[in-house]
Amino acid sequence: MLTVTNLDAYYGQFHVLKNVSIDVREGEVAVMLGPNGHGKSTLLKAICGLAERVAGTIKYEGREITGMPAEKLVNQGVIYIAENRELFPHMTVLENLKLGAYSKNARQHEKRNLEKVFRLFPRLAERRRQLASTMSGGEARMLAIARGLMSNADFLCVDEPSLGLQPNLRIEVFNIIQEVNRQGKTILLVEQNIPQITEMADKLYVLEEGRITFQGDRSEALSNDHLKEIFLGM
Amino acid sequence: MLIELIDVFISGLTNGSVYALMAVGLTLVYGVSKAFNFAYGSFFSMGGYLAWLLLVGLGLMGGYVIIFIIAIPVLLAVGYGVERAIVAPLRKRSDWEVKVMMITLGLALLLDNAYQVGFGARMKSLPTMVEGAMIMGDVVLSYQDMVIFVLSIGGIVCFRWILNNTRIGMAVRAVAQNPAGAQIVGIPKDVIFGATFAISTVMVGVGGILLSQKYFVSPTGGWDILVKSWVITAFGGMGSIRGSLYAAFILGMLEAFVGWIFGMTWVLFAMFGVLLIILAVRPQGLLGKWG
Repeated sequence: MLTVTNLDAYYGQFHVLKNVSIDVREGEVAVMLGPNGHGKSTLLKAICGLAERVAGTIKYEGREITGMPAEKLVNQGVIYIAENRELFPHMTVLENLKLGAYSKNARQHEKRNLEKVFRLFPRLAERRRQLASTMSGGEARMLAIARGLMSNADFLCVDEPSLGLQPNLRIEVFNIIQEVNRQGKTILLVEQNIPQITEMADKLYVLEEGRITFQGDRSEALSNDHLKEIFLGM
Repeated sequence: MLIELIDVFISGLTNGSVYALMAVGLTLVYGVSKAFNFAYGSFFSMGGYLAWLLLVGLGLMGGYVIIFIIAIPVLLAVGYGVERAIVAPLRKRSDWEVKVMMITLGLALLLDNAYQVGFGARMKSLPTMVEGAMIMGDVVLSYQDMVIFVLSIGGIVCFRWILNNTRIGMAVRAVAQNPAGAQIVGIPKDVIFGATFAISTVMVGVGGILLSQKYFVSPTGGWDILVKSWVITAFGGMGSIRGSLYAAFILGMLEAFVGWIFGMTWVLFAMFGVLLIILAVRPQGLLGKWG
């Protein structure tokens, strides 16, 4: 569904991604692990048209999307879901969700998607009139995911959804992401060393110093001692 | 004495309403794109000259209704064109805010000199919008003031309604609150930057038409407006529309009363004095937020 081939990305003077290639198939949850500052988020941003400078090719469903700006990409079916920095703080939950359906393809499905999202996140339905800035960390994370779903995109790039959350909320967020995946969305997830993460991954990648240093399915990851020790904390 | 007081109050209210319209336009652009437009006053003069050209220069029939019908699209196009041509290309560079100030300052000088070459250095007066007045005892309420007030406040109310209740308005607020977030959900932020600049140009241009027919148009008349709009915006809080609204009426009143008691030369002095005091107490302005 999404193929990245020989991708290089730069952040100012820094050469952040070096010759990165990944391949995510429809219906999968692909997880990208790696230490902080080694380029995981940059990779997601490069795919989603938010990086400064990229070279290489990114193809989505056979169409080349390299360097396509984020506002056009969402219409192609790829959406970036950030921790919670990209919400609209002085707007209500409902306004945030409605704006999630701003793109042309999403607009016609707005009503249906809103019902779906409220079923998935009953708490957001209760708090639809609350300002996004007054929500707790966990709720804001839910809202970020919910807003992403409003875009009607089939491919979700989720950037560290567990960052800064306490363990029980992390599990809640992961459960939601798995549920979303079961409902038919393909997911590329960037995460840190969270033990639970392997359970939900169909495929794992490790990104270190801008290069892919491991790729494989769940069982391969679990049998790799280096990976187990460093990233999965087992 | 009382009658004079009422007259001064009405004058403060009328000017305050136009200042509000213009300050809202200035703060809109700042709030959404963080750009500060130094050519704002020159767009005020543009409105005045446009009205003069159509009414006096070309002798167009149909009065001010036709003027607005022609001037609003022209001002929209000028605003959008200026943003795309000279502001947008700077946005990708470092220190672009300062560069935008410099280039719009240059545009202001260019426009003001163009007005001088094209229309001459002398002040031009425009025919009044409506003649007559409502007379209640000793109080005279001119229809002109009433029309100015209603159009300015109507413009602001319309604008607020669009901002709060339409999809495009929501998109504008989204870009103001989080440009990257707006981009992610599919809002073309460059178009929104251009559109807000265009709308602000209409607001100040219409302000120019409204005030010029009460006073006059001159090539450098916009500087006074730029300074006043700036003071109001800083006073109300950069980027806060409600703050600008309150500040415009407070400073409109201040202008009317200081002008009446001490003379018009003291107006800017008083405005800056009040601005200094408010900024010393509340550096973010009346309703502004930090950052």
